[in-house]
Amino acid sequence: MNDCPHAQRLGAYHDSELSGEARAQIEQHLRQCPACAAELRRLGRLSELLSAAEATRISPAALRRLHQGLDAVPMSDLRRVAEVCGAIAASILLVCSIYLVKTQPALGPIPIWETVAVARQEPPTAAPEEQLGQWIVEDLSGKNGHDQN
Amino acid sequence: MDLVEKARGGDPSAFHELVDRYAGSLFGLAVSLSGNAADAEDMLQETFTGAFRGLGAFEGRSSVKTWLTRILIRQRARHWRSTHRGKAATLSIEDAPDSSVATPSSHAATDARIDVTAAIKSLSPDHREVIALREMQGLSYDEIADILEIPRGTVESRLFRARRELQERLREYLV
Repeated sequence: MNDCPHAQRLGAYHDSELSGEARAQIEQHLRQCPACAAELRRLGRLSELLSAAEATRISPAALRRLHQGLDAVPMSDLRRVAEVCGAIAASILLVCSIYLVKTQPALGPIPIWETVAVARQEPPTAAPEEQLGQWIVEDLSGKNGHDQN
Repeated sequence: MDLVEKARGGDPSAFHELVDRYAGSLFGLAVSLSGNAADAEDMLQETFTGAFRGLGAFEGRSSVKTWLTRILIRQRARHWRSTHRGKAATLSIEDAPDSSVATPSSHAATDARIDVTAAIKSLSPDHREVIALREMQGLSYDEIADILEIPRGTVESRLFRARRELQERLREYLV
């Protein structure tokens, strides 16, 4: 393979990518370097080979599928937007729920009349007459929890 | 650019006309880069879908062809990453079509095309890109640099190395 240091610029010269002065220098060098001149010929032949390689044409069916796929793009975009909105709404709902639970004020002491009203009553162990007397005494002495201001 | 403006304005027929205008050459490029028509079709679909969604962002600083080619190259890179995750970036020669399996043909041009296709497929992705963009798409170094988002000097050096590889693989055709 050509080891000439100028060989690196042969491709750009072949592709007409060199400016006036650089181009002139390579042309001058080509007159004196058989290795670079031979490589330039190979580059030309290589380009012919690559150009002649069969260009794959898109089939009418493939082109039709391409157009059909593009027609579906707006609907798929709409579905994607709907999914994103749904996810955002769910996230907001979750955050708000957590916030409400954490900031809910603590309950104060339960009024005694509420506990008495639902308190489970122990089955009377005393005789009915004795129990009645006991209630009357408690009621008159104010120990039953009523009439407390 | 007129077609892009019309498509941006909501004219669906304008975008379809863009597709008709550029699908052919982009498909050829996609096949060169991917090595098969099925993958090329997928890449092309993703390219035009991306172009459709990105119509609003196209500023017209490059040509429409360059813009579409850039999108295709990005799609190709995504496709490559998803299909070759964990594997070496360079295709080994075993991945190239096995020309020795082809029925011996008296048509030298057909043999050459098979060998050229195999040689291109054996290049690394970076080298295959620059060869396809320069030799098959006819793009300038500045356009290639713009599309691949690399310096112009890198384009030149990659082309140099890619051509050296191809010269080695196809030397029987270059004498």
